[in-house]
Amino acid sequence: MSKTEIQSIHGLIVEEEIPLTLEELCRACCAPQENVVAWVVEGVLEPLGETPQDWRFTGASLHRARLALWLTRDLEINLPGVALALDLFDEIAALQAHQQRLGPR
Amino acid sequence: MKFKDYYEVVGVPRDATQDDIKRAYRKLARKYHPDVSRDPEADVRFKELGEAYAVLKDPEKRAAYDQVGSQWKAGQDFQPPPGWDAGFEFSGRDFGSGADPTHSDFFEALFGRQARGGQGRGMHARGQDHHAKVLIDLEDAYRGAQRSISLRMPVSDEHGRIAIQERKLDVRIPKGIRAGQHLRLAGQGEPGLGKGPPGDLFLEIEFKPHAQFRIVGPDVYMDLPLAPWEAALGCSLTVPTPEGTVQLTVPAGSAAGRQLRLKGKGIPGKIPGDLYAVLTIALPPAVSENEKDAYRAMAQAFDFNARALMKG
Repeated sequence: MSKTEIQSIHGLIVEEEIPLTLEELCRACCAPQENVVAWVVEGVLEPLGETPQDWRFTGASLHRARLALWLTRDLEINLPGVALALDLFDEIAALQAHQQRLGPR
Repeated sequence: MKFKDYYEVVGVPRDATQDDIKRAYRKLARKYHPDVSRDPEADVRFKELGEAYAVLKDPEKRAAYDQVGSQWKAGQDFQPPPGWDAGFEFSGRDFGSGADPTHSDFFEALFGRQARGGQGRGMHARGQDHHAKVLIDLEDAYRGAQRSISLRMPVSDEHGRIAIQERKLDVRIPKGIRAGQHLRLAGQGEPGLGKGPPGDLFLEIEFKPHAQFRIVGPDVYMDLPLAPWEAALGCSLTVPTPEGTVQLTVPAGSAAGRQLRLKGKGIPGKIPGDLYAVLTIALPPAVSENEKDAYRAMAQAFDFNARALMKG
């Protein structure tokens, strides 16, 4: 394995500094545009803006969209199933946060 | 590079049907998905599984893998035979995903972009965006940090042989970053085809587990154990925080579970998080006669029923 020299770079925090457009989100999570649009219509993703051209997605959408893509493509779950699974993921995350606040008891 | 037995990873025999592979994959994928599993190895297992499934679910790739793979066992040193992929046309849609930094050297050598030969020659397209996870310490989010990450990229030499090139990036982790947030490194993803621009690299931030602090979004929680008299009478304590010690006043009559908030002492940011000290009461053991006497004196002094709320 050959190595090249080290490059030093700055990254931007997606969640705080770069709202993603529909096209950017599709590219970032390697999902077809029709899937992302369907997820928005189903309420899985909640971008700011009215029309698809104006939609701006936050970084949290990136994680959700990647999860939705995995559920759709690899587990072959349909749209309402994906929406339900993501709601349950949110529920688990909320319970885990609650548990974190309390600490190990 | 080590040979990977994808059948072993998915847990199916070599003659498994496509349906068997799909079923076995789904079962394991549900078990090891990092959002579902609490197994610390889940991340690694899930990646391995995804790589194996990317090959086995596609009949073209599976046939190609079977042709190379029948003589090798998992973990053996492996070099793909020259021209091994002649006669296979990798056309599947997923194949467009090219070099994925989460895939192993082994996968890249067999199925990476360069191994697909001249596909796309004369074409111009933007490279794919890539994703990777970076583990940082909580303290890094308070102060900012520099992290070195290595990416693997297959490149072919003038004889068309595939070599894996390692690229090191020094990434500045900005102060105030939180778990689950993504850093976008513009132009650090897959190189573009032809004159196409390169893709971006997205780094998802995750905190290493901390012995003392628990993290919920921007807020940080810690247990603060007190002796019963400290909780009952109140006290002033020096407590450690991720950015040094602070003086904390525990009010008299504090019960276990009470949360004392240190405003703005959580993860920094435009709206900084808070640090919470969750009070716990540590019971001193009564071993010596003196200690036992102290408990007896308490029993005398208090009109206290610990089970007052119990019925029956």
